[in-house]
Amino acid sequence: MYIDPHIHVVSRTTDDYEAMQKAGIVAVIEPAFWLGQPRTEVGSFKDYFSTLVGWERFRASQFGIVHYCTMGLNSKEANNEALAEQVMELLPLYVGKEGVVAIGEIGYDDQTEAEDKFYRLQLELAKEVDLPVLIHTPHRDKRKGTIRSMDVSEEHKLDPKMVIVDHNNEETVKEVLDRGYYAGFTIYPHTKMGSERMVEIVRQYGPERIIVNSAADWGISDPLAVPKTADLMRKSGIPEEHIKLVTYQNALTAFGQSGQMDEQDWLNAAPLDQTKKMGGNSVLRGGQTPRVEGSSDIVEN
Amino acid sequence: MQNQITGFLSLLLESTDNQKGLDWLKVKSQKISSEGTPSQFFLAFSQASRYFKKEKLSLSDQEIKKANELSTGFQPEFWDQLQSARTVLMLSYPQEKETWFTAMNQLFETADMNEHQALFAALPLMPFQEDLIPRAIDGLRTNISLVFDAIALSNPFPAKYFPEANWNQMVLKAIFMQRPLYRIQGLEERRNPALAAIARDFAHERWAAGREVMPEIWRLVSPFVDEMYLEDLKKTLSTKDELQVKSALLALRESAYLPAKELLEAYPEQVASLDMDAIAWESIGSEFQRTRV
Repeated sequence: MYIDPHIHVVSRTTDDYEAMQKAGIVAVIEPAFWLGQPRTEVGSFKDYFSTLVGWERFRASQFGIVHYCTMGLNSKEANNEALAEQVMELLPLYVGKEGVVAIGEIGYDDQTEAEDKFYRLQLELAKEVDLPVLIHTPHRDKRKGTIRSMDVSEEHKLDPKMVIVDHNNEETVKEVLDRGYYAGFTIYPHTKMGSERMVEIVRQYGPERIIVNSAADWGISDPLAVPKTADLMRKSGIPEEHIKLVTYQNALTAFGQSGQMDEQDWLNAAPLDQTKKMGGNSVLRGGQTPRVEGSSDIVEN
Repeated sequence: MQNQITGFLSLLLESTDNQKGLDWLKVKSQKISSEGTPSQFFLAFSQASRYFKKEKLSLSDQEIKKANELSTGFQPEFWDQLQSARTVLMLSYPQEKETWFTAMNQLFETADMNEHQALFAALPLMPFQEDLIPRAIDGLRTNISLVFDAIALSNPFPAKYFPEANWNQMVLKAIFMQRPLYRIQGLEERRNPALAAIARDFAHERWAAGREVMPEIWRLVSPFVDEMYLEDLKKTLSTKDELQVKSALLALRESAYLPAKELLEAYPEQVASLDMDAIAWESIGSEFQRTRV
């Protein structure tokens, strides 16, 4: 069993969902993020947030995967201040919803003043509703941005154990762990981490508070990054209980602090509801059954 | 009426052994009612999931009767605990038209699946119902059966308010999604020739594709049986499938068309074993749901 605690499944296909389920992924967390191009209207945020708690969750359930999400205004779009203000007004409608396991992903991109302002406002919101925080650390000037994220979080008196600092690398991991935070690692080709480097990090730092994710989205990325990394760890002789911690249990412990994520959600899940599943207008159209074998030339009637 | 409904739902929730949830609900609904601030209402409405389960309520026969007396067509025996609590909160919000619509529109537009289920199922308990017709029609565009069911099934709102075209669309979509038609309130009363023709077209499409036809659709056809529909019913009889045959016989029995009566005479034993119409349709529908969907 694996959890992918950071994946933007709205951009993925049903083939991905099938492959993920087959590879042992039982639950995913979809952080609210940007969509590759900036939104220009607050209504676009509203509909996106509604998708995260609505259609996408339903869609995932049809493939036997439990879908959770985090809610927040991402750092890139915080720079459109007029719009960002409106998004902040929208957030209270969503943060209390079922399956919202954190405020996130928030933090810094270019580390501007506007980013700082909305990051701080959202840290306060997280405290108010008692939710964990998922921090996105910047691609550029990462080390400084990561440290600043933690400094500001502490300034707002957040408990490090309620904060998951994501997209770490060899340069940031030590300080993040030393200061008591959860450290997320994103296995994303070319830009973030490769799985071999990940194996070395677990070997060096041990499994405590380390969380592996794919952050798969609309870019060239891999929705199977978590199970693949687990396999590589296995081959590299990392103990099984360490693999379980970094690809399953730590994410559950960290995000479970929301009270919105429980192992029973998938261990005791009702069997795939055939009536929901077969609904003519659902993702499986007019009597299709999900493919269980490999692909075939025959498209089912 | 609002107070009676909230009182009744609270009473039903009391049998679920959830004192913590009930205390929370009491405090929140009083606050929402007396202060009327939207943000408090929104937060309580979403956070109700932390206090109530999605387990069905259980009603005695007497309670089922009482529900229908309180509001015609109200069937909380199909409701779960969470949606009942949410309905109590919703009905506690002050019903001043302009502010009520502002808050409710926001709630409808930002609701998740289960929140939508609660809101749409409670339409017949809401104020300003005629202004809510477009909301209900729009809600049926969903692809999520949980939400579709909340409007279409065990809900008196569509039969009471929908124009014929929208009513027909809803029934057709229910057929397409293979939902149990017998749970659509007012299905018999609102049968119409256009809907019968739509049902027939749909059956032909299914036959052409080599797929099974939902037997309940012949219930829509029975008052309009003529030469054309008779051919369809003959074809249904020829399937030799017990459920299909039963549905065709029921449709024939209900029809006043003379050749339909004559056709029936060829099946004396099966006809003798048929139940009363409504009960028979329900058993065909539930059997189909149980074994074929």
